Amino acid sequence: MVDKSTKAARGTVQCENTNINLLKANDFVADIIKKEMAKTSTLLINVTSSAGSGKTTLMQKTAQKLKDKITMAVMVGDLETERDADRIRETGIQALQIVTGGICHLEAQMIHQVLDQFDLENIDLLFIENVGNLVCPSSFDLGEDYRVTLMATTEGDDKPKKYPKMFLTSDMMLVSKADLLPYVPFSVEAVTKDAREVNHELEVIQLSALSDEGIDEWCDWLLAKIKMKKG
Amino acid sequence: MHETSIVNSIIRTLEQEFEAEKLNKMKSIHLKVGILSNIEPRLLYNAYDASHMMNPKYQNVKLEIEMTELKIQCEVCDHITDVQKYRFICDNCQKPSKNVIQGEEMLIHKVEFND
Repeated sequence: MVDKSTKAARGTVQCENTNINLLKANDFVADIIKKEMAKTSTLLINVTSSAGSGKTTLMQKTAQKLKDKITMAVMVGDLETERDADRIRETGIQALQIVTGGICHLEAQMIHQVLDQFDLENIDLLFIENVGNLVCPSSFDLGEDYRVTLMATTEGDDKPKKYPKMFLTSDMMLVSKADLLPYVPFSVEAVTKDAREVNHELEVIQLSALSDEGIDEWCDWLLAKIKMKKG
Repeated sequence: MHETSIVNSIIRTLEQEFEAEKLNKMKSIHLKVGILSNIEPRLLYNAYDASHMMNPKYQNVKLEIEMTELKIQCEVCDHITDVQKYRFICDNCQKPSKNVIQGEEMLIHKVEFND
Protein backbone atom coordinates (compact mmCIF):
# COMPACT_ATOMS: atom_id res chain seq x y z
CA MET A 1 0.00 0.00 0.00
CA VAL A 2 1.43 3.31 -1.05
CA ASP A 3 1.40 5.97 1.58
CA LYS A 4 -0.30 8.85 -0.22
CA SER A 5 0.86 11.47 2.21
CA THR A 6 4.50 11.04 1.17
CA LYS A 7 4.07 9.70 -2.39
CA ALA A 8 1.62 12.24 -3.72
CA ALA A 9 0.95 12.42 -7.45
CA ARG A 10 3.00 14.87 -9.48
CA GLY A 11 1.84 18.44 -9.41
CA THR A 12 0.26 18.24 -5.99
CA VAL A 13 1.60 19.90 -2.95
CA GLN A 14 2.93 18.57 0.30
CA CYS A 15 2.42 20.48 3.50
CA GLU A 16 4.48 20.58 6.63
CA ASN A 17 2.81 21.99 9.66
CA THR A 18 5.77 23.52 11.33
CA ASN A 19 4.70 26.08 13.92
CA ILE A 20 8.25 27.34 14.26
CA ASN A 21 8.71 30.61 16.08
CA LEU A 22 9.76 33.29 13.63
CA LEU A 23 12.31 34.54 16.10
CA LYS A 24 13.61 31.09 16.94
CA ALA A 25 17.15 32.11 15.95
CA ASN A 26 16.97 35.13 18.27
CA ASP A 27 15.49 33.19 21.18
CA PHE A 28 18.14 30.48 20.84
CA VAL A 29 20.88 33.07 21.29
CA ALA A 30 18.94 34.74 24.12
CA ASP A 31 19.03 31.42 25.98
CA ILE A 32 22.80 31.23 25.56
CA ILE A 33 23.10 34.74 27.04
CA LYS A 34 20.90 33.70 30.00
CA LYS A 35 23.20 30.76 30.72
CA GLU A 36 26.33 32.94 30.50
CA MET A 37 24.79 35.40 32.97
CA ALA A 38 23.77 32.62 35.32
CA LYS A 39 27.38 31.38 35.44
CA THR A 40 28.68 34.70 36.74
CA SER A 41 25.46 35.73 38.58
CA THR A 42 25.40 38.99 36.64
CA LEU A 43 22.05 40.77 36.65
CA LEU A 44 21.08 41.73 33.10
CA ILE A 45 18.56 44.54 32.60
CA ASN A 46 17.12 45.62 29.26
CA VAL A 47 16.20 49.32 29.35
CA THR A 48 13.73 50.46 26.71
CA SER A 49 11.77 53.62 25.94
CA SER A 50 11.18 56.09 23.15
CA ALA A 51 14.05 58.31 22.07
CA GLY A 52 14.75 61.19 24.45
CA SER A 53 13.00 59.90 27.54
CA GLY A 54 16.17 59.94 29.65
CA LYS A 55 17.69 56.45 29.46
CA THR A 56 21.27 57.64 29.21
CA THR A 57 20.82 60.28 31.92
CA LEU A 58 19.38 57.58 34.18
CA MET A 59 22.37 55.33 33.42
CA GLN A 60 24.72 58.18 34.42
CA LYS A 61 22.78 58.83 37.61
CA THR A 62 22.59 55.16 38.52
CA ALA A 63 26.33 54.80 37.95
CA GLN A 64 27.06 57.75 40.27
CA LYS A 65 24.83 56.35 43.00
CA LEU A 66 25.91 52.74 42.84
CA LYS A 67 29.51 52.69 41.70
CA ASP A 68 30.88 52.47 45.24
CA LYS A 69 28.52 49.63 46.14
CA ILE A 70 28.60 47.40 43.07
CA THR A 71 30.32 47.04 39.72
CA MET A 72 28.12 47.96 36.81
CA ALA A 73 28.58 48.25 33.07
CA VAL A 74 26.41 49.39 30.18
CA MET A 75 26.06 48.40 26.57
CA VAL A 76 24.15 50.95 24.60
CA GLY A 77 22.52 50.58 21.20
CA ASP A 78 22.01 53.40 18.72
CA LEU A 79 21.68 53.67 14.98
CA GLU A 80 24.81 55.82 14.75
CA THR A 81 27.51 57.58 16.85
CA GLU A 82 29.26 56.78 20.11
CA ARG A 83 27.74 59.72 22.00
CA ASP A 84 25.83 57.74 24.63
CA ALA A 85 28.73 55.46 25.53
CA ASP A 86 30.96 58.54 25.88
CA ARG A 87 28.47 60.15 28.26
CA ILE A 88 28.24 57.02 30.40
CA ARG A 89 32.05 56.58 30.49
CA GLU A 90 32.35 60.09 31.94
CA THR A 91 30.86 58.69 35.15
CA GLY A 92 33.76 56.25 35.37
CA ILE A 93 32.06 53.01 34.44
CA GLN A 94 32.62 50.68 31.53
CA ALA A 95 30.37 51.35 28.54
CA LEU A 96 30.28 49.83 25.11
CA GLN A 97 28.46 51.29 22.13
CA ILE A 98 26.64 48.99 19.75
CA VAL A 99 26.05 50.81 16.47
CA THR A 100 23.19 49.06 14.72
CA GLY A 101 23.69 50.89 11.43
CA GLY A 102 20.04 51.67 10.90
CA ILE A 103 18.40 48.72 12.62
CA CYS A 104 15.67 49.90 14.98
CA HIS A 105 16.26 47.42 17.83
CA LEU A 106 18.94 45.24 19.42
CA GLU A 107 18.91 41.50 18.72
CA ALA A 108 20.31 38.77 20.95
CA GLN A 109 23.06 38.05 18.43
CA MET A 110 24.38 41.62 18.74
CA ILE A 111 24.56 41.29 22.53
CA HIS A 112 26.19 37.88 22.42
CA GLN A 113 28.84 39.13 19.99
CA VAL A 114 30.11 41.77 22.42
CA LEU A 115 29.70 39.88 25.72
CA ASP A 116 33.34 38.75 25.76
CA GLN A 117 34.40 42.42 25.90
CA PHE A 118 33.18 42.45 29.50
CA ASP A 119 34.83 40.84 32.50
CA LEU A 120 31.52 39.34 33.61
CA GLU A 121 33.07 37.59 36.62
CA ASN A 122 33.52 41.02 38.14
CA ILE A 123 30.32 42.69 36.97
CA ASP A 124 27.26 42.62 39.25
CA LEU A 125 24.92 44.56 37.02
CA LEU A 126 24.93 44.85 33.24
CA PHE A 127 22.51 47.23 31.56
CA ILE A 128 21.48 47.02 27.95
CA GLU A 129 20.31 50.46 26.91
CA ASN A 130 18.18 49.57 23.91
CA VAL A 131 17.56 51.70 20.81
CA GLY A 132 15.00 54.42 21.61
CA ASN A 133 11.82 52.89 20.22
CA LEU A 134 8.71 51.50 21.92
CA VAL A 135 7.82 49.14 19.06
CA CYS A 136 10.44 46.74 17.67
CA PRO A 137 12.59 46.15 20.80
CA SER A 138 9.54 44.63 22.51
CA SER A 139 9.69 41.52 20.31
CA PHE A 140 13.35 40.65 20.87
CA ASP A 141 14.32 38.76 24.01
CA LEU A 142 17.92 39.65 24.85
CA GLY A 143 18.23 37.11 27.64
CA GLU A 144 17.55 39.79 30.26
CA ASP A 145 16.39 39.13 33.81
CA TYR A 146 14.15 42.20 33.80
CA ARG A 147 12.82 44.62 31.24
CA VAL A 148 12.51 48.21 32.42
CA THR A 149 10.65 50.80 30.34
CA LEU A 150 10.96 54.54 30.83
CA MET A 151 7.94 56.72 30.23
CA ALA A 152 8.81 60.42 30.38
CA THR A 153 6.28 62.93 31.66
CA THR A 154 6.86 64.90 28.42
CA GLU A 155 5.59 62.02 26.28
CA GLY A 156 1.95 62.09 27.37
CA ASP A 157 0.15 59.71 29.73
CA ASP A 158 -1.75 57.88 26.95
CA LYS A 159 1.20 55.87 25.66
CA PRO A 160 0.90 52.41 27.31
CA LYS A 161 -2.17 51.31 25.31
CA LYS A 162 -0.65 52.73 22.14
CA TYR A 163 2.37 50.47 22.56
CA PRO A 164 0.82 47.56 24.49
CA LYS A 165 3.39 44.88 23.71
CA MET A 166 6.20 46.86 25.32
CA PHE A 167 4.24 47.37 28.55
CA LEU A 168 2.98 43.79 28.55
CA THR A 169 6.55 42.46 28.40
CA SER A 170 8.06 44.92 30.90
CA ASP A 171 8.54 44.29 34.61
CA MET A 172 9.03 47.90 35.64
CA MET A 173 7.81 51.25 34.33
CA LEU A 174 9.86 54.24 35.36
CA VAL A 175 7.96 57.51 35.03
CA SER A 176 10.95 59.71 34.24
CA LYS A 177 11.43 63.49 34.22
CA ALA A 178 9.12 63.73 37.25
CA ASP A 179 10.65 67.16 38.04
CA LEU A 180 8.66 68.48 35.06
CA LEU A 181 5.28 67.33 36.42
CA PRO A 182 4.22 70.84 37.54
CA TYR A 183 4.67 72.11 33.96
CA VAL A 184 3.20 69.34 31.81
CA PRO A 185 -0.34 67.95 31.43
CA PHE A 186 0.63 64.46 32.58
CA SER A 187 -1.06 62.33 35.21
CA VAL A 188 1.02 59.63 36.89
CA GLU A 189 -2.22 58.07 38.09
CA ALA A 190 -3.64 57.91 34.53
CA VAL A 191 -0.46 56.44 33.02
CA THR A 192 -0.27 53.84 35.79
CA LYS A 193 -3.91 52.85 35.30
CA ASP A 194 -3.46 52.59 31.52
CA ALA A 195 -0.30 50.50 31.86
CA ARG A 196 -1.75 48.22 34.53
CA GLU A 197 -4.79 47.46 32.38
CA VAL A 198 -2.27 45.93 29.98
CA ASN A 199 -0.02 44.39 32.63
CA HIS A 200 -1.35 44.18 36.16
CA GLU A 201 2.01 42.98 37.52
CA LEU A 202 3.91 46.04 36.29
CA GLU A 203 5.86 47.84 39.01
CA VAL A 204 6.00 51.63 38.82
CA ILE A 205 8.50 54.15 40.19
CA GLN A 206 8.25 57.89 39.61
CA LEU A 207 11.70 59.46 39.37
CA SER A 208 13.87 62.27 38.13
CA ALA A 209 17.57 61.91 37.41
CA LEU A 210 17.95 65.67 37.74
CA SER A 211 16.17 66.28 41.07
CA ASP A 212 17.02 62.82 42.52
CA GLU A 213 13.35 62.08 43.28
CA GLY A 214 12.78 58.32 43.30
CA ILE A 215 16.41 57.51 42.54
CA ASP A 216 17.00 55.84 45.91
CA GLU A 217 13.90 53.70 45.43
CA TRP A 218 15.15 52.68 41.95
CA CYS A 219 18.65 51.90 43.26
CA ASP A 220 17.21 49.86 46.15
CA TRP A 221 15.15 47.87 43.64
CA LEU A 222 18.31 47.15 41.65
CA LEU A 223 20.31 46.16 44.74
CA ALA A 224 17.53 43.80 45.84
CA LYS A 225 17.47 42.14 42.40
CA ILE A 226 21.27 41.80 42.40
CA LYS A 227 21.10 40.16 45.81
CA MET A 228 18.41 37.75 44.57
CA LYS A 229 20.50 36.87 41.51
CA LYS A 230 23.52 36.10 43.67
CA GLY A 231 21.30 33.85 45.73
CA MET B 1 14.07 48.06 9.11
CA HIS B 2 12.22 45.75 11.45
CA GLU B 3 10.47 43.96 8.57
CA THR B 4 13.77 43.30 6.82
CA SER B 5 15.17 41.56 9.90
CA ILE B 6 12.03 39.48 10.16
CA VAL B 7 12.28 38.35 6.54
CA ASN B 8 15.94 37.45 7.12
CA SER B 9 14.94 35.55 10.23
CA ILE B 10 12.29 33.56 8.32
CA ILE B 11 14.75 32.55 5.62
CA ARG B 12 17.48 31.72 8.16
CA THR B 13 15.08 29.62 10.21
CA LEU B 14 13.82 27.65 7.19
CA GLU B 15 17.37 27.06 5.97
CA GLN B 16 18.20 25.58 9.36
CA GLU B 17 15.07 23.48 9.44
CA PHE B 18 15.01 21.94 5.95
CA GLU B 19 17.53 20.35 3.58
CA ALA B 20 18.66 22.46 0.61
CA GLU B 21 17.08 19.97 -1.79
CA LYS B 22 13.73 20.38 -0.12
CA LEU B 23 13.99 24.16 -0.04
CA ASN B 24 14.39 24.15 -3.83
CA LYS B 25 10.87 22.73 -4.01
CA MET B 26 9.37 25.18 -1.56
CA LYS B 27 6.11 26.61 -2.89
CA SER B 28 4.73 28.75 -0.09
CA ILE B 29 5.38 29.95 3.45
CA HIS B 30 2.43 30.53 5.78
CA LEU B 31 2.85 32.77 8.78
CA LYS B 32 0.49 33.12 11.68
CA VAL B 33 1.07 36.37 13.54
CA GLY B 34 -0.79 37.96 16.40
CA ILE B 35 -1.89 41.56 16.45
CA LEU B 36 0.52 42.09 19.38
CA SER B 37 3.52 40.91 17.35
CA ASN B 38 4.10 44.38 15.84
CA ILE B 39 4.06 42.83 12.39
CA GLU B 40 2.23 44.82 9.75
CA PRO B 41 1.38 42.39 6.93
CA ARG B 42 1.56 44.90 4.11
CA LEU B 43 5.03 46.02 5.15
CA LEU B 44 6.19 42.46 5.57
CA TYR B 45 4.94 41.51 2.08
CA ASN B 46 6.90 44.47 0.70
CA ALA B 47 10.04 43.54 2.61
CA TYR B 48 9.71 39.97 1.38
CA ASP B 49 9.37 41.12 -2.24
CA ALA B 50 12.34 43.43 -1.78
CA SER B 51 14.45 40.58 -0.39
CA HIS B 52 14.20 38.81 -3.75
CA MET B 53 16.22 41.62 -5.33
CA MET B 54 19.15 40.72 -3.07
CA ASN B 55 18.61 36.98 -3.25
CA PRO B 56 16.31 35.72 -6.03
CA LYS B 57 16.48 32.13 -4.81
CA TYR B 58 13.00 32.18 -3.26
CA GLN B 59 11.31 34.60 -5.65
CA ASN B 60 8.72 32.02 -6.71
CA VAL B 61 7.86 31.11 -3.12
CA LYS B 62 4.61 32.71 -2.03
CA LEU B 63 4.25 34.32 1.39
CA GLU B 64 0.87 34.17 3.17
CA ILE B 65 0.20 35.98 6.43
CA GLU B 66 -2.71 35.21 8.73
CA MET B 67 -3.39 37.60 11.61
CA THR B 68 -4.82 36.38 14.92
CA GLU B 69 -6.85 38.33 17.47
CA LEU B 70 -5.89 38.77 21.10
CA LYS B 71 -7.25 36.29 23.65
CA ILE B 72 -6.48 35.74 27.31
CA GLN B 73 -7.44 32.84 29.56
CA CYS B 74 -8.22 33.73 33.15
CA GLU B 75 -6.03 31.97 35.75
CA VAL B 76 -8.86 32.19 38.28
CA CYS B 77 -11.97 31.03 36.39
CA ASP B 78 -10.46 29.64 33.13
CA HIS B 79 -12.77 31.85 31.08
CA ILE B 80 -11.41 32.90 27.67
CA THR B 81 -11.80 36.59 26.84
CA ASP B 82 -11.36 38.41 23.52
CA VAL B 83 -9.25 41.37 24.55
CA GLN B 84 -10.77 44.65 23.35
CA LYS B 85 -8.91 47.95 23.43
CA TYR B 86 -5.97 46.29 25.22
CA ARG B 87 -7.84 45.86 28.49
CA PHE B 88 -6.33 42.62 29.82
CA ILE B 89 -9.23 41.87 32.16
CA CYS B 90 -11.40 38.73 32.36
CA ASP B 91 -14.92 39.25 30.98
CA ASN B 92 -16.35 36.81 33.45
CA CYS B 93 -14.79 37.55 36.83
CA GLN B 94 -13.15 40.94 36.09
CA LYS B 95 -9.73 39.78 37.33
CA PRO B 96 -6.69 41.16 35.43
CA SER B 97 -4.68 38.55 33.53
CA LYS B 98 -1.46 38.42 31.52
CA ASN B 99 -2.10 34.88 30.35
CA VAL B 100 -2.16 35.56 26.59
CA ILE B 101 -3.19 32.41 24.72
CA GLN B 102 -3.46 33.98 21.27
CA GLY B 103 -2.39 37.19 19.61
CA GLU B 104 1.31 37.30 20.50
CA GLU B 105 2.49 34.54 18.18
CA MET B 106 4.98 34.92 15.35
CA LEU B 107 4.88 31.53 13.75
CA ILE B 108 5.96 29.91 10.54
CA HIS B 109 2.80 27.92 10.69
CA LYS B 110 2.97 25.86 7.53
CA VAL B 111 5.33 25.36 4.58
CA GLU B 112 4.22 23.89 1.28
CA PHE B 113 6.50 22.05 -1.13
CA ASN B 114 6.03 21.02 -4.74
CA ASP B 115 6.39 17.33 -5.17
